[in-house]
Amino acid sequence: MYQPPSLPEKWSQENNELVNKCKQQEAAGGAVSRDHRQSSLRWCSSEFHKLLRKIQGIPPHVDHSQLELAVVYNTCVCFTAQSQFSEAELLLKEATERVLQVTGNNADTSDPLVLWRAGLKSAGNTALHPHVLYLLCLQWALWLAKCQLENIGELQEQMSSLCEIVCDGVGDGSLSEAKGRLSKSPLLVMEPKRLTELLQICTSIAQGAEKLNEGRSSEALSVLQAASALPATRALVAYTHLLSGSCLAHMNRPQMALQCYKRALETDSRCVCALYRSMLIYRQLGNTQAEIQALRLLHSTLMLPPATEPVLGGIQPLSPSLLLSSQSLSRLLSVPSALSVLYSLALKCVLSGRVTEGVEHYLDLLAALHSEDQHAVDAEVSVLPRMPELYLEAGTALLFTRRPADCMAFCNEVISTTLELVPEKVVLEEPEEGIGGDARGLSVEGEDKVAMLLWAAAAYLVQGHCHAHLKDWKQAVTHYTRCINLLVKVHLKNRDFQPQIPAADVNVKHGKDLCTLQRMKGLSLAWRGISFTQMDQLREALRDLQLSLQAFPDYTGAGLWCGEVLWRLGRKHEAAACWEKTWSLTTQTSVEKLPLYLQDPQSGPLLDSVELRFRIQELGLT
Amino acid sequence: MEGRCAVETWAQFGFSGRSYKVKILCGFGTDVLICTGTEEIYVFSKRERKITTVLLLPAAVNDLVGNQDKQLIYVACRSGVYRVNLQFLLHRDQSSQADASSSPAELKISQECLVVGADEVSSLLLVGSVLLTLCQRDASWLLTLYKTPKQTASTSHKEFGSFHLPVASAVDCGAAESNRGPRKGSVLICIHSGDVQASSSSNASAESTVAQDHFHLEPLLFKLLFGVEAALAKSPVILCGLPDGRLCFLPLRLPGSRLRVLHSLEQPVCFVGASVVTETGHAQCLVAAGEQGRVALIKTDKAGSEGGSAVAAFTEGCVPGPVWCGCMDKSCFYYSTGADLLRLDLSEGSFARESKERGEETSGTTAAALQSPSSLNVCRVIALAEPACSTAGDVQLLGVSARGQLQRICLPAGRVDEGSSKLPSTQVSRSVRDLLSAIGDVCERASVLKTVIKSKNQFLRLLNHAVSVSFLLMADTTTDLPIKEKPIRCHFETSWSRLLQKDSLSLVCFLHNSSPFVLERGWTLSITVSPLSYSSSPAGESSSTNFSFPFHDLRPGQTFEASLPIAAAGDASFPMTVSCSLIFSLSSLLGEEEVAASFAGLQSSCISLPLSTLTVDWLHALQLNSPTATHKMATVQPSSAAADSIQTFLSSRQLRCGGRTNRGGESAAKPEPEKYSASVWVSSEIVRDTLKPKKSSNLDAKESIRDPEDLCLSLLERLLSEDTEGVKMGCQGDKIALSTSVAHARGPNGAAMKLTVKEINVGEEESTDKEATIEVQIESSSLAAVCGLHHAVLRRIQTLLQSATEKAASTKNVQILGLRRALQRAEIQQSQISGAFGEVVSTVQRDRLLLSVYQELRRNPLLIV
Repeated sequence: MYQPPSLPEKWSQENNELVNKCKQQEAAGGAVSRDHRQSSLRWCSSEFHKLLRKIQGIPPHVDHSQLELAVVYNTCVCFTAQSQFSEAELLLKEATERVLQVTGNNADTSDPLVLWRAGLKSAGNTALHPHVLYLLCLQWALWLAKCQLENIGELQEQMSSLCEIVCDGVGDGSLSEAKGRLSKSPLLVMEPKRLTELLQICTSIAQGAEKLNEGRSSEALSVLQAASALPATRALVAYTHLLSGSCLAHMNRPQMALQCYKRALETDSRCVCALYRSMLIYRQLGNTQAEIQALRLLHSTLMLPPATEPVLGGIQPLSPSLLLSSQSLSRLLSVPSALSVLYSLALKCVLSGRVTEGVEHYLDLLAALHSEDQHAVDAEVSVLPRMPELYLEAGTALLFTRRPADCMAFCNEVISTTLELVPEKVVLEEPEEGIGGDARGLSVEGEDKVAMLLWAAAAYLVQGHCHAHLKDWKQAVTHYTRCINLLVKVHLKNRDFQPQIPAADVNVKHGKDLCTLQRMKGLSLAWRGISFTQMDQLREALRDLQLSLQAFPDYTGAGLWCGEVLWRLGRKHEAAACWEKTWSLTTQTSVEKLPLYLQDPQSGPLLDSVELRFRIQELGLT
Repeated sequence: MEGRCAVETWAQFGFSGRSYKVKILCGFGTDVLICTGTEEIYVFSKRERKITTVLLLPAAVNDLVGNQDKQLIYVACRSGVYRVNLQFLLHRDQSSQADASSSPAELKISQECLVVGADEVSSLLLVGSVLLTLCQRDASWLLTLYKTPKQTASTSHKEFGSFHLPVASAVDCGAAESNRGPRKGSVLICIHSGDVQASSSSNASAESTVAQDHFHLEPLLFKLLFGVEAALAKSPVILCGLPDGRLCFLPLRLPGSRLRVLHSLEQPVCFVGASVVTETGHAQCLVAAGEQGRVALIKTDKAGSEGGSAVAAFTEGCVPGPVWCGCMDKSCFYYSTGADLLRLDLSEGSFARESKERGEETSGTTAAALQSPSSLNVCRVIALAEPACSTAGDVQLLGVSARGQLQRICLPAGRVDEGSSKLPSTQVSRSVRDLLSAIGDVCERASVLKTVIKSKNQFLRLLNHAVSVSFLLMADTTTDLPIKEKPIRCHFETSWSRLLQKDSLSLVCFLHNSSPFVLERGWTLSITVSPLSYSSSPAGESSSTNFSFPFHDLRPGQTFEASLPIAAAGDASFPMTVSCSLIFSLSSLLGEEEVAASFAGLQSSCISLPLSTLTVDWLHALQLNSPTATHKMATVQPSSAAADSIQTFLSSRQLRCGGRTNRGGESAAKPEPEKYSASVWVSSEIVRDTLKPKKSSNLDAKESIRDPEDLCLSLLERLLSEDTEGVKMGCQGDKIALSTSVAHARGPNGAAMKLTVKEINVGEEESTDKEATIEVQIESSSLAAVCGLHHAVLRRIQTLLQSATEKAASTKNVQILGLRRALQRAEIQQSQISGAFGEVVSTVQRDRLLLSVYQELRRNPLLIV
């Protein structure tokens, strides 16, 4: 005789249908968009929730508790996947309380930890135990997603026993005995075993990152190394290696760190962060070639089209990214944008002498910036220099590769853009007044008038270098003069200021501006002097070179050429003194900190120190 | 056409009312697309001069853009952004046009065309291959960038970036102001640096100075506004005007750029554009216009304040607003206020000329230009587009009017005010014609206003009357004037009539208006008739009836008469209370909706003023049987008589059964119905005194009244016909000549009854001191009739005595004996009553006991002296 199915049976059937539908959608979900997946998830969770409310409409009872807990599990998985943590947490709490009611215990507490302990204890060895454990898994996931690692630590022993039972005990042991009632037991959206595995490694990674952030590198290292042996996806294992590397780098073991990064890359070739970290270590070690290599790799990896998530064992509702959302971790995993990597690469190449390569990179960078595909989407603060500076650096690099015409084109661009906006007079306040000076010279759109002026001046300076390179001395003088004319528009406000001490170490921006200004003055005057020397206008040359030395005493080129001019003027003793003084200057400002375009041009007439020393010796003899 | 605008209506489409979301999109060859804020987009062909196609979108359209090669349009609907391949549609359309010639084809845009599923996108912009959408999400403006696919077949539009700007809540006044119409969305345009155009002029797509939302700005101004970096990166800049008045910009291709605020108009931005185009094709002036007429002109000020470097000069001014829409050509800004189309000439030349004339500084002239927009005399324009300069120098605009007409507006070549001193005669006559038509317009508007004022005045007058009348009536109630002297009073008459063999009693109401005011439209007389005692109605509910009679025009001194049926014979419950009141209702004066609109706070739109409350009792409702009439009635209306006798039988039987226990077999044996009776004794002295003033005019009456017979007769007459409290028994056919002091009548319930007035001597038999007393005796077989009539008679006598003079109270001798007897009776009755309540178990018995006591009381009244 036909017997209509009882209510729990109907619910169980409904649950199983929903789970199957979910799984189908997930299986098909690889192809469809993220939006679609989100909407299907939303649908699933609402359906599960409806079913759950039906079931929870009747008082808890042992007979259908198992079903109820399974539905709670499914609902919570869906909620968590949509980042609706508070809803999921509430459901879990209610479910635990109902479990306690079934088993005849009463816990009048709201502390989740106490509640869970009581729940686990009361479920004891009943048939409910595995289901309660599954729910604990979800609680764990929620804590992890909300970065409440301390709660996980509190329930450490429960968790570890849970891992044992879920992964070994219930998962397999009960399998045989469960075969019989398999048809009866309600289906679950996500296998608890897989969830537990995911949770284990994610917890280790999160803990590692947290400890690393707190400076407890060695503890973090042990956690992470233990985690690297856990079963998980490649990406997660790569994370453990990567973080181990970071720990080692913190512990001043760069070589071992490099090994770890290498392992991370071997595990997951898309782990760009490992590449970036290795590059940083190479930079720290001073291994320029390796650094450039790493930068190049990093750039090409970043330029690859964003990969679709590798499909490993089906897409799961709970993704690792959901569980690994802590700030310290994301800070550790952040990678600069492709453009800034390209810029670093270009600059590094030029500075390390691979100028041709560097120029190519600069041109690539500018092309990328001008392409239609480039859009202002980088939310993070860009590490790129300002646009005119980029032009000037690229121009200087071109000059280094003996392409003065191209260089001049770049400089022209900068000049045409900025010159119209350069004011007649700019006041540069002293660095000591620091913060108060911010309002100075800011135009409507907040651009710095001083910066504008310095860019235009630098462009003229580089153009002067170009002409000097072409040995067109007259043009060179013209451009250096233009540069100087611009620079003298800057009025320094501080009376006590001593220009003899260029504030090389002052970090304040105005200090940097001042330093740039002084250096540019020195360079332009010196090079106009040199140009005059080439045109045999020695008196003008001497005047400029001496002025240059006043403005910027550290510039050795000016000192040497000043001596040369003196020599040619027949003031040989003075010349000798000048040379001696110049050589005695030991402070060579680090070239690296200066912008490329403010460095001494590597072209142009050169003076041979050996020859000069020889001349002094001769002078001494005579 | 010279000196005047020519407006040519091209098409009319189903659209009315003012909408802010009207947009005209040009540049599709000879096609013009128009969206009006509904689901429809009209495709108008300039060649055929008609609407060829109507695109039907799934939701209301907010914005519309076309791509560079004019093959695709993107439509922002309420539900998302749709992409329509126009070329394809129109070609298909043309092929189908061959057979269906006249009516425009309707094309439904399906859900498949949806490319971006964002809700409530308010503005769209296409820059190259990037689609930008602007929408408001919670507390921020969201500018989202989508990548459009290279192949038109693909529909995937990838979102690759978005920018937030928090919503400013500062400008609430603007929101409040604009709640008259639908809120204007935002404005989204793209500004290119002039350099770009110069360098890429070979590119056909860059030749888009005609494009409505792309402008090429002079490089210097571009740099000043948007920075050197944007210029160096050759990045187009997105400029968006928001409803909160902010003008924001975003360099599109600069890494790390943010949405920044350029300026704030502090009123909803409704137009942003660039004008004053030089020979090189660069606009020198950026114009932003707010809804309420604030216009910001942004130009380069070459002679900047500090050290001669150029700065951007922001000039703000107010033009006569509201600005509904605007468009720009090479030198002018055209905008419509709804009432007029205005032109602002922004070109440098005009400034220079003016400044020369006035000797002002250059910066001041821009503001001066804002002061003097020239009117073009075209009204009701709500959308503008496509300014085009013909070779002759004429400017043509496309406009959509508030009535849903697509218009081409041809503007005169020269400035209107140029050479106004020497106008040719044709122009003079034309301007005279213009003026005349303008005067006609004004006249028409004035007459409309006049009628409005008139009706308002009328209404005010009526209200004033209403207030006066209510004051009058309120004063009445406080001063308590006698009813005869009230300025607005009413009285009633009862009359029996026989209709369809059924007697019915009707009450005629007379309302006399002796006030100086006319009771006009809006006033209603309301009469409520309800039984005095509710016990008679079976369910205990109040069985009151309302009658209302609206007045039309009751002038002072006139009387209004209304007749209302109160009862058919047999089913009335007397006595009745009749209350009448005057009601003034605003809604009947104004109409419901107007009242609802202007007196929203009023609880009800009626004022009720009570006039008077009266009682209609049994005496009023009696049907007297004259000795002759009884016979007539008996013979002529047998059915009625039969009904009466059945009625009598039924009512009496009940009582007889009740009386059986009390009176034993004596009454049970009698076949005729039992008689109930009640009597009132009044001292004849008092009656004589009270009736005297009535008859004082008649000297003979004084003598006749001496006669006790006459006294009884006049009392009876007085009882039956006297006007009490304004209610009078109407004459029943012929005036009943009462020959005897016995009146036979039928009550309203049909019971026959006898009213006897006779003089008796009350006192102990042995006593000589006998008081002359008039006894009014009521006899009927119906208890209800006896009770009712007794009540009525008592009331009459009460009023009689009240109107009697005080001297009547001079009673010579209080009848001690009578009092003694009365006391005895009272004691017996008291004991009977207490016995009835104390011993008797059954309610039937108790009722019977009480009834007998009651009858006893009625039968032996105290003498009224």
